[in-house]
Amino acid sequence: MLAMNHFSLAVFIIIGSGVLPLLFLWRRFAVMKAVASFGISVGCLIGLIDAIAKIAHGATGNASASYLHAFTLSLRMDGLSAFFLIAIFIVSLLAAVYSYQYMDNARKTVRVAVHYLFFGLLVASMALVVTAANMITFMLCWEIMSLSSFFLVVYNYESEGNRKAGYLYFIFSQVGAMFILAAFGVIYSHTASFGFGGAAALPERAKILVFVLAFIGFGSKAGVFPFHVWLPHAHPAAPSHISALMSGVMIKCGLYGILRVYAFLDWHAPLSGYIVLVAGMVSGILGVVYALGQHDIKRLLAYHSVENIGIILIGIGLGMIGVSAGNPVMALLGFGGGLLHVLNHAIFKSLLFMGAGMVLHKTGTRTIDVLGGLIKKMRITGTTFLIGSLAICGLPPFNGFVSEFLIYIGGFRGAAMSQTDFALSLLAIVSLAVIGGLALACFTKVVGVVFQGEPRSPAAEEVDEKGISMTVPMVILAGACLVIGIFPGVFAGMALKAAESLQLGYGRVPLAPFMQLTGNITRVALLFFMVFFLILVLRAFLYRGKSVTASGTWGCGFTQPTLRMQYTGSSYAGSIIAFFGPLAPVEEDHPPIEGLFPAKTHYHSQVHDIAERHMGRVIVHPILAAFDKLRWLQHGDIHLYIGYILLAIVVLLFFV
Amino acid sequence: MTSVLLFLLAILLAPFYSAVILKVKAFFGGKKGPPLLINYYTLIKLLKKGSVYSTSTTVIFKLGPMVSLCAVFTVLLFLPIAGQPPIFTFHGDVILLLYLLGLGRFFTIAAAMDTASPFEGMGAAREAYFPIICEATLFMILILFYVLTGELSLAAYFSAGQPAGFWHTAGAPLMFVVLALFIVLLTENSRVPVDDPATHLELTMIHEVMVLDHSGPDFAFIEMGSFLKLFFYSTMVTRLICPMTLGHPAANLALFLAIMGVVYVAVGVTESVMARYRMDKVPQFVLTSFALAFFATVISLEFLK
Repeated sequence: MLAMNHFSLAVFIIIGSGVLPLLFLWRRFAVMKAVASFGISVGCLIGLIDAIAKIAHGATGNASASYLHAFTLSLRMDGLSAFFLIAIFIVSLLAAVYSYQYMDNARKTVRVAVHYLFFGLLVASMALVVTAANMITFMLCWEIMSLSSFFLVVYNYESEGNRKAGYLYFIFSQVGAMFILAAFGVIYSHTASFGFGGAAALPERAKILVFVLAFIGFGSKAGVFPFHVWLPHAHPAAPSHISALMSGVMIKCGLYGILRVYAFLDWHAPLSGYIVLVAGMVSGILGVVYALGQHDIKRLLAYHSVENIGIILIGIGLGMIGVSAGNPVMALLGFGGGLLHVLNHAIFKSLLFMGAGMVLHKTGTRTIDVLGGLIKKMRITGTTFLIGSLAICGLPPFNGFVSEFLIYIGGFRGAAMSQTDFALSLLAIVSLAVIGGLALACFTKVVGVVFQGEPRSPAAEEVDEKGISMTVPMVILAGACLVIGIFPGVFAGMALKAAESLQLGYGRVPLAPFMQLTGNITRVALLFFMVFFLILVLRAFLYRGKSVTASGTWGCGFTQPTLRMQYTGSSYAGSIIAFFGPLAPVEEDHPPIEGLFPAKTHYHSQVHDIAERHMGRVIVHPILAAFDKLRWLQHGDIHLYIGYILLAIVVLLFFV
Repeated sequence: MTSVLLFLLAILLAPFYSAVILKVKAFFGGKKGPPLLINYYTLIKLLKKGSVYSTSTTVIFKLGPMVSLCAVFTVLLFLPIAGQPPIFTFHGDVILLLYLLGLGRFFTIAAAMDTASPFEGMGAAREAYFPIICEATLFMILILFYVLTGELSLAAYFSAGQPAGFWHTAGAPLMFVVLALFIVLLTENSRVPVDDPATHLELTMIHEVMVLDHSGPDFAFIEMGSFLKLFFYSTMVTRLICPMTLGHPAANLALFLAIMGVVYVAVGVTESVMARYRMDKVPQFVLTSFALAFFATVISLEFLK
């Protein structure tokens, strides 16, 4: 264990801080919260420093422990693990700080203590998943991660909707885990070892099978369309810092899995890249289209996770095509851009979820169309949310742009190739452009309707912004968006190092040209700020000594405007969603206005997710029907049940 | 040095060219029309005034005009004018510039949403919608240019002998690109048949309704920003339709300025002979540009090789 002592220390502190409150401190609410959130933060900080040091020095670490000679738990940290650990520890650290004041219901002391137990377990298991070095360790930590996050999702289990969301998540994560287990099983059947090392020697057809199984399994955790159905249900149900943690980093563990499987399979056929790229484009575009149609701010953010996973997959897919085409620069751009987007998305998505959590905490509602004008009373939340929005739209000079820029350049490299590679790269570039435009539409809607304008309901009028432990993490994250956006060099370097440690057989590529790209982003960002400063000075000069007055908004000649006449989020997004027609069917409920004295009417619209809509028909119903036919097996007779067990043992003894 | 001078010249001339459109429209309407210097008078008038701010607005409302103007200024620094190299250039600058224009759009929309006006919200929704398709078109054109030159910068596409080179290698499909770029120009700059800057009903506007509440120098910034944005797109169209050089820099500049005039007259003629499309037909019109760019790219890259 010596080789990774800082990392182990971090994991022990995190788990310990989760367990302590439940054992001793649950009677004292404030102390319990303080101990837990401080302990988890300290653990994360130690882990973060260790991971940064590892990636900076290019060091790797190993550790293993054997249990009764039955199996060996072994950990290994390389550049890729360290990169994911950085994202995991940053977000967990700030989520733990945020939770201190977010979990303020003193009547639910025990429940909050239990929540910290699972919080600690979730963080620790994520850290262990990305360092696991054999199948047993990986699956064990993967299941702890899935289960602890399930218990966090059903934190507010009184509401039926939340319980349903929890079960949906549970089913998806277990089915996903079975797919991963099946993939590992195929590897084991060829190598007869729990290590990943021998997988490269698998025959070609087995590799295809392993990759597809693993892609489905990991994809269902990552939220790849059409396996994303649980995401928009689970994220709104969970407490906001848990949503931040799950959306920011937990779903990334799925991407880690895809990358790891790809690396150890050493399978460089173009097919892998095509699968990943197409899945990325579909998730990216449909994710943002469904996001546009949402009325619930946290559901909207959840769909944006689907979108951003799509962008990351586009990057990874381009990287894989680069590898198969023997184009190391394109490969490094794709993987590096995708990995940098993992970190960037972790930062801005957790920021946005924390902002949404603040809104929910202070107004008691997540419905976009009843809010409005919040930035006036919630300055820090509003400003940081705006920065997060600019970052998620991929606009310069914020961090989202940098990773998309690298992916774009990788895509253009691909467009210079021929046939399938050309066609897919072309589609990837256009998809990225469309995703960017749609994300801009979506976040101008959120910022415009929730934070700007005038309050649309009393809930949005009486708000304040208290809770320094909630605002400080948001400010730090917003600062990170800006710093990475202006000085991306170091961070892109880390992502490229992580991509290099995949060892994809193209040797070392000089990093100087990539650094030149990021250097140019820095220069343009500084140029932009210089021009902006000049305009600011000019503006101040122009307004010197002028009369500046305040008045109502111009109502275009209409003299009796009311606040409810403001454009709502639904109408804002309506025409864009209509463009996507059958891909995003809209269901409207609007009794028509009839007669001379029309009755009161209402309008409600819902955008359906086609994956969710067809899941019942295509998957759930046939499976239920099949199992219905097997009902006779479950007859309630205990003797026959014991008979089943005997039979199973006999069969196993003789035939396996 | 020449590049800096051309940059300043562009800023000076952009309002003049926009007035050409007004003059052409007046000609078709059988009117005398405003003087060609009208935009300078308007800008000076606005700069002299103070401002009225809506009580609903926040600091974002004031940031809107500044950020959008700043974005266009930064973009112009990278634009090769009259075939001369631009002030700055690097590999990949086009992507950054398109996203900078996106940043300007984000703040224009945010400033409109800040006023709590239903009309401005309506305009904002359209401003968020149509450029999505334009971006797809522009990236499609970029792919074509990238494969033809191996470069990703405006300087490589529009300075020195380059657009002429495109005609040699790609040939006729480049006509599609010119047309697609012209449609993007009309859409991005809120011209007929996408948007009618001269209509009297706020309900039917896009860009004009979004800036209803801006006044004084803030509004002058917005006006200047839109003149420069139109200049940016027109420069690209001009270089594409007239890539030849005359040998002497002054002659080149004169030719460039003349052809620029032709492009602006074309915008004016389009506005005079067409009506604005119904709002739900506009996406089809903008999609035409995407289809044209798509076919141009696929034909010249897959079949003409």
